[in-house]
Amino acid sequence: MDPAFLTIAELSRLYDQRELSPVEVTRNLFDRIAAHDSKLHSFIRVTPEVALAEAQAAERELMAGRRRGLLHGIPYALKDIVETAGIPTTGHSKLCHDYVPAADAHLVSRLKAGGAVLMGKLATWEFALGGPSWDLPWPPARNPWNPDYLPGGSSSGAGSAVAAGFVPGAVGTDTGGSIRGPAAVCGIAGLKPTYGRVSRRGVFPNTFTMDHCGPLTRSAEDIALFLQVIAGFDAEDPGSEDAPVPDYAAALTRSITGLRLGLIEHWYADGAHPDLPPAMSAAIEILRGLGAVVEPVQLSSLRDYTDCKTTISIAELYAIHEKDLKTRPQDFGRILRNRVLPGALIRAEDYVQALRWRTVLAREQAMALKRFDALLTAGALGVADPADPNQPDRLVSSPSITMPFSVGGLPALNIPCGFSRAEGLPLSMQIAAAPMAEPIVLRIAHAYQQATDWHRRHPDLH
Amino acid sequence: MRTDLSHLPPSGPEEIRAMTSRAGLDLPEELIQQLIAVWPAFEAMVRRIPRDCDRAAEPAHTYRPLRIVRD
Repeated sequence: MDPAFLTIAELSRLYDQRELSPVEVTRNLFDRIAAHDSKLHSFIRVTPEVALAEAQAAERELMAGRRRGLLHGIPYALKDIVETAGIPTTGHSKLCHDYVPAADAHLVSRLKAGGAVLMGKLATWEFALGGPSWDLPWPPARNPWNPDYLPGGSSSGAGSAVAAGFVPGAVGTDTGGSIRGPAAVCGIAGLKPTYGRVSRRGVFPNTFTMDHCGPLTRSAEDIALFLQVIAGFDAEDPGSEDAPVPDYAAALTRSITGLRLGLIEHWYADGAHPDLPPAMSAAIEILRGLGAVVEPVQLSSLRDYTDCKTTISIAELYAIHEKDLKTRPQDFGRILRNRVLPGALIRAEDYVQALRWRTVLAREQAMALKRFDALLTAGALGVADPADPNQPDRLVSSPSITMPFSVGGLPALNIPCGFSRAEGLPLSMQIAAAPMAEPIVLRIAHAYQQATDWHRRHPDLH
Repeated sequence: MRTDLSHLPPSGPEEIRAMTSRAGLDLPEELIQQLIAVWPAFEAMVRRIPRDCDRAAEPAHTYRPLRIVRD
């Protein structure tokens, strides 16, 4: 049995039935990575010795009937800004080329304790911001649906590796859309959890006030299983929320009949890929058919949300990288440098006013979520970008449809909802809800995926 | 009616050089030129930030002393 496109839920079931073993799956996936990743560059580093040792341990325990958790024996990979004890963590940057952390990130400790199998470290945009870049020590990852296109960013390797069938799940990070963007253009699921739901300790910072860690998988059900393992309070992360972790898989079993969904259509009505509005309309009809009540809702413009988020981000980013920008600016990639250096010119009052505006914008979303159980919009405004080093930098010029829920700190999940006709590339829908309402987001996404098969379509790598 | 700073004229290259210098950055000329090229888009963004929040409006990142971990 080829495990490449089995979900986490399916793998676990087959482990329980003794029809597959963690070692067999791990070896099979490494063979697949060896055969195809030279075209996709999704991994910066594979960790076969670690993985096989963890897979063998998991196999022994599962055979003995000792299941440690929902990801026991499940292969996964980490964006290479997540620190791993004894394994280099580069940030995809020359600045950290030889950095070997002494300790695991908090979420890695949870995955290890749960018996998951670390396959390696994944490509990212430099320090989760500067990309796609062609002047870094490793090439940018490519999109498995068509390697002439990019997998989005900054969790670029995570999107590529999960869509390519190299791993069933990966950990990414999302400050303005870095999990959801790659999920959207790679045709997979990606969740930015509530701010504070998953610890950021041991993860290279991008923007302290908006950094989130979360899973990318091939189904909403797998997101629920993955989140269950990594979610939870961490007293050593000042942003961590001490809130109970619900049973996310249990939420999937409930119907969405009667749920009220607010559709933010004006964010994608103009300027989006022409195939996106019809794909969204079809998705909304399916949700209505499942019993949801979908009504329009109006929020501030994407331009407002993008200005607010980006002003906050570049001020914090500059503070993070100031020392290196002053002592070794040439060691940064051009794109990251050009995105971070402007932070030196942001005044204190600009930063504080942006933080105050964030409260206003977040409150606007909270008010909408008093009327609705969840908000719906597109997951991305277009399809994947071509892998062209001469593309202009659109960080500031193009508003982002993922940044609003970064500003709100809300849980937001992207899932595939179609393909473009001209390019044959994935399109995506985004579902957000109130803080800590991941169960509602997952419930809606799972119901949609039970009625559709977009998430069951996979790229042919040959 | 929203108030912001969009009415201000864009900073010229010499002003950008001066701001960079005041930030303590001593960049090679090539990198200064790159910053001069990219700054106008960032400056326009920052100037769109509204400046009319209520006097008591809190920023979205407040200090929580109970969450500071002691060594």
